[in-house]
Amino acid sequence: MLFSSVTFIYYFLPGVLALYFAVLWLTRGRQQPGSRAVNAVLLVASFVFYAWGEPKYALLMAAEILFVWAVGLAQVKARKTRINGANSESASNIEKLLLIATVVIPLAILGYFKYADFFIDSFNAVAGTELPILRLALPIGISFYTFQMVSYSIDLYTGKVEEAGRNLIDFACYVVLFVALIAGPIVRYSEIAAQLIRRDHSIGGFADGVSRFAVGLAKKVLIANLCGELVAILKDSPDESVLATWLYVVAFALQIYFDFSGYSDMAIGLGAMFGFHLPENFNYPYIATSITDFWRRWHMTLSSWFRDYVYIPLGGSFVGAPRQIRNIAVVWAATGFWHGAAWQFIGWGLFFALFLSIEKFAFGGALQRLSGPVGHIYLLLAVGISWVLFDAASFGDAGRTLGHLVGAGSSGLVGDESLYYLRSYAVMLLIGVIGATPLPARLVHAIGERDWGIKLLTVAQHLGIVLLLLLATAFLVDGSFNPFIYFRF
Amino acid sequence: MSDELGRRAQTWSLRQLLTCLVFIGLVGGWAVANRLVAPPIVSQTERRTLATMPDLSLSSVTSGTFMSGFEEFAADSFAGREPLRTLKAWTVLYPLAQLDKSGLYEGDSGVGRFERLNVASATKVATKIAVVASSLDGLNIYYSFVPDKSIYAGRYLPGFDPEAARDALASKLADYTFIDLTSVLGADSFYRTDLHWDQTSLDPVVQTIGAAMGVTTELPSDVATAGDFSGVYAGQLALPVTADQMAYHPLPSVVTAEYLNATTLAMQPGPVYDLEAFTGQDPYDLFLSGAQPIVRITNPNATTERELFLFRDSFGSSLAPLLSLDYAHVTCIDLRYISWSLVPDFVTFPPGSDVLFLYSSQILNSEAVLQVQVP
Repeated sequence: MLFSSVTFIYYFLPGVLALYFAVLWLTRGRQQPGSRAVNAVLLVASFVFYAWGEPKYALLMAAEILFVWAVGLAQVKARKTRINGANSESASNIEKLLLIATVVIPLAILGYFKYADFFIDSFNAVAGTELPILRLALPIGISFYTFQMVSYSIDLYTGKVEEAGRNLIDFACYVVLFVALIAGPIVRYSEIAAQLIRRDHSIGGFADGVSRFAVGLAKKVLIANLCGELVAILKDSPDESVLATWLYVVAFALQIYFDFSGYSDMAIGLGAMFGFHLPENFNYPYIATSITDFWRRWHMTLSSWFRDYVYIPLGGSFVGAPRQIRNIAVVWAATGFWHGAAWQFIGWGLFFALFLSIEKFAFGGALQRLSGPVGHIYLLLAVGISWVLFDAASFGDAGRTLGHLVGAGSSGLVGDESLYYLRSYAVMLLIGVIGATPLPARLVHAIGERDWGIKLLTVAQHLGIVLLLLLATAFLVDGSFNPFIYFRF
Repeated sequence: MSDELGRRAQTWSLRQLLTCLVFIGLVGGWAVANRLVAPPIVSQTERRTLATMPDLSLSSVTSGTFMSGFEEFAADSFAGREPLRTLKAWTVLYPLAQLDKSGLYEGDSGVGRFERLNVASATKVATKIAVVASSLDGLNIYYSFVPDKSIYAGRYLPGFDPEAARDALASKLADYTFIDLTSVLGADSFYRTDLHWDQTSLDPVVQTIGAAMGVTTELPSDVATAGDFSGVYAGQLALPVTADQMAYHPLPSVVTAEYLNATTLAMQPGPVYDLEAFTGQDPYDLFLSGAQPIVRITNPNATTERELFLFRDSFGSSLAPLLSLDYAHVTCIDLRYISWSLVPDFVTFPPGSDVLFLYSSQILNSEAVLQVQVP
C-alpha cells in the first residue's frame, strides 16, 4: 500500500487512527501496558499494510522478526554471562556466533530475493552458461527492514543497545512499523526503544504530523508524479536533442528528490501522529556545494548506516590514505548495490566514491575556498550525471544519454518536442526548483517573525493543508501515474 | 532526530487544535462519505463502467486480486470524484500552465488528445491488411487512414505523424492504391469535443474517395440534427466545454441496413441511423449502431450497381451511409469484432468489387485489436 493512495488516506489511516486512539484512551493511566496495547494495534495494522501489497511475504518477514528477536535475547544472556566472568570465553564465542547468525541470515535472505538473478546473470555472462533466471518477486521494503534488523543485532553486540527488546510486540513494532516500513527512514533501535515503551501523544505533535504529512503528500503527488510524467514522456520521445536530454536530467533529479523526500516527510508526519519522533532523512541536498556535503543531506539515515556499520568497522578515516580510498570504494559500491541489483548501480556508487575520494584527498580544500556558486554548479553537474547512470538500463544507455547532454549523437540542439515540453512544464519545474531549496521555509519563518505574521500563517497553514489534501486527492482519484521509485528497494 | 517536532510536541495551541480538526474533518469526513454515498456504476463523462467492490475471499486475498481491485474501487467510487477531476484538470492547465493534460489539449479547434504514432503497430496493421487483401483476388483494393485531429490544431503538438503513418502502411501495401485524406481534412472536419469526424463535413472525403474509385458522389444538402453531443474528449478533460451538435445527412427511405446478429449468426434488419443508440453511452453509435461486426447497406437507387467492402472502425460507420449513395451495396466489416477467418462464412466478395481499408490513428496505434492471423 502506498501512502499516496486513496486506500491509505481515506480507508486505512482513518481506521488505524480511530482504533489506536480508542485503545490509547481505554488504557490511559497504565503507561507500559498502555503502550503495549497501542503497539499491538500498530503491529497488526503494519502487517495488514504490508500484506496488502505482499500477502505471502508477510510470513517471511514475521519469521525473520521472530528469529532476530529470539537470538537477540540469547545474545544478551551470553553477554551477561561473559560480563559475570563465568565461562567468559565460551560466552564471548557464543555472542559472536549469534551476531553472525543475525547478520548473515537476514542479509542472505535479502541477497537471495534481491540479488540472485543478478549473480546468475553475471555468472552466465562470464562462464557462458545458461543457468535459468529465478525471476523472484522482491519483498517490498526488504532492503529497509533488513538493515534495521542488522543494525539492531550489531548494536546489541557492541553494547549500543543494552537491553534486547524484551517484548516481542515492541520489537516487531520497531521492525514493521508501517510508517517507515517500505521506504524508511532507516530507524535504529536505540533511537526508538524508549518511544516503544513510552511516548507522548499531544495535540501539538499530532498537528505537526498532519502538516508534515500534507506537505509530503503534495511533494509526492503534485510535484514528483508530474515530473515523473515528464521523464516518461522524454524517455519515450524521438527527440534526442541536447535540450530534451537536459530537460530529462532536471526532471528526473526533481522527481527522485520529491518522490523520496515526500515519502520521508509523510513517514515522519505519520510517526508524529502516533507519538514517534523519526529521524530526518533529507536536508535540502541540492543546495550542497560538494558531493561530501550532498551525502550529508541525501538519504541521511542510509548514509549514516553505511558509515557506522561498514565504513568505521573497516577502519574509517583512521587508516592511511590508500586504505581510506579502499574503504570509501567498498562502502559506495555497497551503497550502489543496495539501490539495485545491476552493474550500473554499482557504477553509480563508485562514481560517488571517486568524487568523495577526490574531494577528501585532492580538491576538498580548493572546493571550500571557491565561492558558493562554483561548488554548487559542480555539485549539480556531478549529481545530474549520477542520475543518468542511476536511471539507465545499462552502461551503454547511460553513455548515450551523457553524450546527448553535450551534443554527441544528439538530434540537434533543440527539437520541437523538447521546446513544447519545456514550455508545458516550465511552471512545474520552477516550483520544483524553488521547492528543493530552503527558500519557502525561510519565507514562512520570516513571515512568522512579524506581528501580523502569526495570524497570516495560521490562516495560510490551514488553507494550505485543506488545499494540498484536496489537490492531492484530486490527482489520485483521476490519476493513473503514481509510481514510487524507492518502492523497488 | 527531529528535535523540532519533539520540542513542539510538548505544547499545543488553538492553532494546532485547529490543524487536527481540519485534518480529521477532511479525511474522516471523506472516509465516512465514501461509505455512505452510493457510488455510480457508470461514469458518463469517461464513458466507462466504474470499478465495483471486489469479492472478498481467501483466494482473492492471497493472490492479491482483492487488494488491486479495491484500489481501483476506492478511486472510482470516491465521493465527489467528478468535481475533483475538474479540479485536477483546472490545476494542470491553468495554475501550472501546462499545454496539455496527459495529452489532452484545449484550443481554438476544441478539445483533443494527441498520441504519438506507434510505427511498429502501424506496420503490423499494414501487414494484417496485406493478409486480408491478398486473399481478395480480382477485387480493387484501396487503403487509407484517418489522421488524428491534433494535426489540425493550428499549433505544434508532439503527436501523430501522418507521413510516418503513410510510410508504415506503404511498406506492406505497395501493390494497392493509397487514398490520401490528410490533405482534405481540417479542424472543422471533426467534432470539437470528440475524436470522430463530423459526417456533415465529409464532402471532401467522399469526393476524394469517389474520385479514386471512379464514382461521383453528390451528397444531399439536407441535414438532420440528433441533438447535443458532448464527445469523449470533453469527458476525459473534465472541464466545462460547449457541446457539439450531432448532425447527419438523412438518406432516402429505400436505403436499408442489415446487421449480423452475433447470437443467431443471421443478418437482420436495422437502422442506418440509430437514434435510440444516440441516447446511450456513446452517442456516436447513432451511425450503424456502433460496434457491429458486419453491416450491409443496400441502396436500390444508387448511382451504380457496384459493391463496396469497407474494412473500417467507427469512422467508417459515419462514412458508409454516404458511400451507399453511389454503391448498391456497402458491406462494412469491423475486424475488431469478428475474426477475418470467419468473415467468408457471412460475406462473399464478387470479383470486380471495390475494397477500402480505412482505419483511424487509434487503430494504427493498437494493431492487436484487429483479429487477423498473420502467418
